[in-house]
Amino acid sequence: MRTHSRSTAWFLASPWVIAFALFGLYPFLFSLGASFTDYTPLAPSSTRFVGLANYTRALNDPAFWSALRNTALFVIGTIPFTTAAALALAIAVQPAFRGRTLFRVGFFLPSVVSIVVLSLVFKGLYANHGGLNGLLSALHLPTPAWLQNPRTALPAIMAMDVWSASGYYMIIFLAGLEGIPRDLYDAARLDGADGWARFTHITLPLLRPTLLFVLVVNSIRSLQIFAEVFVMTRGGPLGSTTTVVYHLYEQAFSRFQLGQASAVAYLLFVLSLGLAWVQMKAVGAQEQSRS
Amino acid sequence: MKQVLGLALAALLVGSCAPQKKPQEVVFWQFWPLDVIQPLVTAFEAENPGIRVRVEQLTWDGGKDKITAAVAAGAPPDLCELGSTYMPRFLQSGALSDWSAGVADLRAGLRGWEQCMVGDAIYGLPWVLGTRALFYNKTLFAKAGLDSSRGPETWAELQNAAARIQKLRGNVHGYGVSLNDKQKLFKKFMPYAWGNGGEILSAGLDSARFDSPENVAALEFYLGLRAVGTLGMQDALDQEFKEGRLGLQISGAWLFKQIPKEAPGLRYGVALVPRPAVDRGTHASFAGGEVLVSFQTSKRKEDALKLARFLVRPDNALALAMAAQSVQPATVAADTAAYYRERPMQQVLIQQFTTARFTPNHPAWDEMEQAIEAEVEQALYDKKSAAEAVRDANARIALLLGKK
Repeated sequence: MRTHSRSTAWFLASPWVIAFALFGLYPFLFSLGASFTDYTPLAPSSTRFVGLANYTRALNDPAFWSALRNTALFVIGTIPFTTAAALALAIAVQPAFRGRTLFRVGFFLPSVVSIVVLSLVFKGLYANHGGLNGLLSALHLPTPAWLQNPRTALPAIMAMDVWSASGYYMIIFLAGLEGIPRDLYDAARLDGADGWARFTHITLPLLRPTLLFVLVVNSIRSLQIFAEVFVMTRGGPLGSTTTVVYHLYEQAFSRFQLGQASAVAYLLFVLSLGLAWVQMKAVGAQEQSRS
Repeated sequence: MKQVLGLALAALLVGSCAPQKKPQEVVFWQFWPLDVIQPLVTAFEAENPGIRVRVEQLTWDGGKDKITAAVAAGAPPDLCELGSTYMPRFLQSGALSDWSAGVADLRAGLRGWEQCMVGDAIYGLPWVLGTRALFYNKTLFAKAGLDSSRGPETWAELQNAAARIQKLRGNVHGYGVSLNDKQKLFKKFMPYAWGNGGEILSAGLDSARFDSPENVAALEFYLGLRAVGTLGMQDALDQEFKEGRLGLQISGAWLFKQIPKEAPGLRYGVALVPRPAVDRGTHASFAGGEVLVSFQTSKRKEDALKLARFLVRPDNALALAMAAQSVQPATVAADTAAYYRERPMQQVLIQQFTTARFTPNHPAWDEMEQAIEAEVEQALYDKKSAAEAVRDANARIALLLGKK
């Protein structure tokens, strides 16, 4: 009976296991191997083992550090705002009120639209004579060349990212909020706690696991920022929007240096793991100190 | 009667049982919309009943990745369209099929062979070409008191025309200076450098020649156009031109298709890229194109070559150019075709080829182009002088030559 149930379990899981092995595990291991070679897809037969050369070259490449700096700026400049906006939206649309579903759908909608489509729309909005400058001009305010100025190009992409991602994380926060017992709020009200006190002493502490999830997932996603850059700026102006994944893409598909690009990808992977570990430690430590 | 019917039935049965030759399938990856390419493919199939063509459309954003992955996986298409900028890498890789013997008879009738040759060996067929020329707004010319019947012919005339249009009111700009646009900025700046006698590499492609007074002067001229124009990426500048807010810009044949649809009322003209002076330099421009290739590991190389030879025939290349409206046939003297004689603006683009330059077929060309664009961009943002940018681009090119 036990053998039967085990084989049934494997049978039921096999579609996912096969898909993961083919499209997840195999590319993951292949690129790990490629990162120690000079593999180029146009001449795979001439591949040679180069040891750690790709890693040392990447770490000595100023373009990699510049891309890493831009990526770090993007992560730092988006995650707090996305998280705060998502939480605020979740709190705003949690109570029952007329039209609540409409607001929830409206805020979530950008998450289901293709990022390429969103990027094209925002590229038009940020154009010299685009919608944003049209509005600023009507208000007699300066009209910057958003995507052509090295100072404003990355913040412009960040703003789009915060706008488009907040709705998705709002749904996750909503699920977390629904899990908080109503009794706690009622008891706090009886004790005379105001809205801010209820938020800081009930909502925020009990949302900590959700917050951790949102932080980790959003950090990993932000570290991999690519499509927006590809569509809107192609890494310019003056390399101000060249992120690590865009840098990696250029190496892989413009220069065909897939070995080198794989090394960059694994450096980013290690960085993502490190950041997730720090976040889990930080939030986990707070959790422990509370208990 | 029964006998006749019996014979007819027997003939029918024999006919239906006889082994029918199954058409060979040729896989053709290309970038054109199916409504543009399909009539040509259908005509080829009618001419070659034993061959069936399976056409797949690639996109310019992801096409190169797909082709690269297919080559790496050992499953490339039989025939493939490659952009000229892809060619140096593919030529270097040894992945392309050698067509030298199969296309030798076509040498005299086509131009653009530079894109697909290594030494004397030929690895592709030039199909259609593309170049850049000067587009100017006739209405703005007239408003600025300029002769709108012709475009500027020299740098001084261009500068003057842009300055006068820039002074017009109503959010109008003189010249469109290209910014931070990968693989586009190069095509907007280098026409001036080439026209002024500047070079990138030596004839043997073994040493850098970018650091020259000619290239510095060309970059200084290009930087000077910022004061009498606006800066933007190509699609933004094209949009401003179509909306009638831009006096002059270097652009390409795709505008011939876009303008009638998006700005049918626009009065505009096309001229050769201005030369430095009446008695000096040339009307140089960038030349690129689409090349048809087969791969070493393609299954049906012979049929692929047959299809390629069909597609580059003058009438077929012209049919594609007419349908696409964004390229010109690689056929020598294509501008004498009735279609172009009736369209003088498009004829200018074909005439532009006589002084246009193909990019060097060096394996590290992509990186060299990026180096030039990065340094020109530094100068455009006033991070470097023209001389510094040209010098640093030269150093980067020399480094790339040393690497390869």
